[in-house]
Amino acid sequence: MELGPVARVWHQGVPEMNPIVALLIFPGGLFVLTLGLAYEWVDRKLLARAQNRVGPRWFQPLADVFKLLAKEEVIPNDVNPLLFVGLPIAALAGALTAALYVPIFGLAPAYSFEGDLIVTVYLLSLLTLCMGLAGANTLNRFALVGATRTLTQLFSYEAPFMLALLAPAFVAQTWQISAINSYASTHWLIVTQPIGFLVALIGLMGKLELPPFDAPEAETEIVAGAMTEYSGRGLALFRLGKGVEMVVGLTLVAAFYLGGIGGPLDFLLKTGALLIAIVIIQALMTRLRIEQTVGLWWRWGALLVLVQLLLYILWEVVTA
Amino acid sequence: MSTNLVESVIEGLKTWARVNSPWVIHFNSGSCNGCDIEILATITPRYDLERFGIKLQGSPRHADVLICTGPVTRQARERLIRIYEQMPEPKFVIAVGSCALSGGVFDGLYNVAGGIDQVLPVAAYVPGCPPRPEAIIDGVVKLLSSLQQPAPETAPAREQGATQPVYEGEAI
Repeated sequence: MELGPVARVWHQGVPEMNPIVALLIFPGGLFVLTLGLAYEWVDRKLLARAQNRVGPRWFQPLADVFKLLAKEEVIPNDVNPLLFVGLPIAALAGALTAALYVPIFGLAPAYSFEGDLIVTVYLLSLLTLCMGLAGANTLNRFALVGATRTLTQLFSYEAPFMLALLAPAFVAQTWQISAINSYASTHWLIVTQPIGFLVALIGLMGKLELPPFDAPEAETEIVAGAMTEYSGRGLALFRLGKGVEMVVGLTLVAAFYLGGIGGPLDFLLKTGALLIAIVIIQALMTRLRIEQTVGLWWRWGALLVLVQLLLYILWEVVTA
Repeated sequence: MSTNLVESVIEGLKTWARVNSPWVIHFNSGSCNGCDIEILATITPRYDLERFGIKLQGSPRHADVLICTGPVTRQARERLIRIYEQMPEPKFVIAVGSCALSGGVFDGLYNVAGGIDQVLPVAAYVPGCPPRPEAIIDGVVKLLSSLQQPAPETAPAREQGATQPVYEGEAI
């Protein structure tokens, strides 16, 4: 794997890690979970400041997760108990596995092969799919409506988001995340592909079901969406999974569009900047109805990214 | 010895998490809406309860604290009990407003079962008609600080929540 200049210096300083440690503690597993909670706190705190509030204390997401883990888990009647218990685990496992393929904290991905970009995008979708199935598994009408909306939204943002991540892959001539990362560290793709950057960032917001794309969990209409019947452990695992997905998604977008991720400082600065952008959009926008979300993605997101790809191909043909 | 230490650390962690992350659900069992409006005012940015980790939840499955307003009418009684039963353990009930405490001006009516404590074990009482948001916040904070103290020797009759009132403040 080729590394950028900063990354090379950083990696010389980091000794070779035991695979188990890398998988469970750092940079995978525990570290990603902590990072997810920290990013959730930054998100909530900044949103509170934007709304002229003081906002939660720094340990709030941690306290929420501990409390949920210590609570009773109610398994409702008429659900498949195996699915009910298993889906949160699968969702968190998918998000944690995806974290192994991206340059978390500026480290080289723990695992890397040609085509891992596709695997990562699918692993990120696993969380949303599990949430949809979890909602559809219960007989609660709010959960059913939430599940329908979750899956509808999945089908609307997934194609534009994937196209927006494929555009850098086309330019870098590779499907390997670490290779695209090192290509991007010398080419700021946000300059040459601004549309792709926007679609990727807003697609990430759709993936995380943040406002204005929070119709699947609209608490004023459908209680808590697909999560309505979940209590205790299941809810905690889904929340952790969402935090991890936020970190992985921000890392991917920052690595592809914001000049690559070469080290810890690079990682914190770039993902932090993206997080602030996401919070500003959240604070400014109100919730879109589900058909507005679908229309936005298919009428604008997908089309614009395709036009950008077409322009790139034309450019290649003309300059060749 | 070491297992005791681990257990006490885990118990301490659980209590800490419970005190710092109470998610509430709000149920009106026959109130005139005065208390409900005060509860809504309590969760606005002006009072910003997210500072204490308090979050309003729509689903009883996500909630730890049931905030009840109004006297319990005979029609709402079954619904109130059902909402309470849907909440996962451990759970607590806060009665907000004069009517929730005793039935208030509706006490003795043919269609009213009485205050909240006639139906559910209430952990904290917040008097007032309606209580100010500051009084409601005070009630919640007193309930939470009572969780940090060791459980009383006389065990509650029911397992769910505390049956003994921990807070009987003065009307504001």
